[in-house]
Amino acid sequence: MAQLLALCGYHSVGVTVPTGLMRDRLEALCDRFRDSGLEIFLRADLTCSRREELLKLLRRFRPAFDLIGVRCTNHSLALVAARDRRVDLIFFDHGKRNVWLDDSIANVSNASLEVNLRLLLECQDLLSLTRLRKEIAIAHRHNMDIVLSSGGTSAYTVRAPIQLMAIGEILGFTRQDALRSVSTIPLRIVTKNSHRRSSNYIEEGVTTLAEGQ
Amino acid sequence: MSRRYIYIKVYCAGTVTEEQFSQTLSASIVKYFGEIGLSQIAPKIIRYDSSKSSAVVAFAKDYAAELHAALAFITHVNESDTLMLPLKTSGTIRGLSNS
Repeated sequence: MAQLLALCGYHSVGVTVPTGLMRDRLEALCDRFRDSGLEIFLRADLTCSRREELLKLLRRFRPAFDLIGVRCTNHSLALVAARDRRVDLIFFDHGKRNVWLDDSIANVSNASLEVNLRLLLECQDLLSLTRLRKEIAIAHRHNMDIVLSSGGTSAYTVRAPIQLMAIGEILGFTRQDALRSVSTIPLRIVTKNSHRRSSNYIEEGVTTLAEGQ
Repeated sequence: MSRRYIYIKVYCAGTVTEEQFSQTLSASIVKYFGEIGLSQIAPKIIRYDSSKSSAVVAFAKDYAAELHAALAFITHVNESDTLMLPLKTSGTIRGLSNS
């Protein structure tokens, strides 16, 4: 899969790993991707149904991962996840009919909306595509960043960046926006997070400088 | 109508014949873009190499995004998991010869 990703033209990938994976297995996974010439960022996808549960998971896992995504299972959880600065990406299950991105979520969101192609392919129906187009229009209206990802779980579910861009274009992105969604926006998120996780970082806008700087 | 040529690599758990490739590609385009979309994209298989699982397809220049999206939406051929990866696009067939 790592070789296939390199063949597709990726330079950096965010890999979702189970939160309880042992450190040595994580290292082996990272080495495999690095051997293929890819920069790897570890990502955790948090799934829960209550606010307290989400905050507890964020406290526990935010420092350990480069990227944190939250699967929004209900509207109140989506609001909390969107507002919390520790959350990088929020995504919605297109097969579920009880929760979707609306103006109230997009209006307060600090996180980016992730359009996961795997979830879209799992329920290839007109309703999912229509709702996704609406969500993208709402996100654009509120200047919310959108990240296009393949969400691949096997070699057969990987998609090339140009394919993700093309899907973005048919879902209502301009070509430039689609390009940003697979390149600069994800890169900006991981760069910001690596800065936050550095020892010099104190809080938003405050960084310690070494003597003489 | 200006044409472009795309080099596609097919990864499939089973084998994919030229006919299956052609039918799957057309079906995907018709499903998401309709018959009119198919006539606008106008895909034509120039070459299919079943030993290398690769194909060269000609299409209308202005509909590259539609073709890429249709390829991305293909998940199965003959009930086997499939990935169709566009590796290179060129204005001439010769431009793809190094692929």
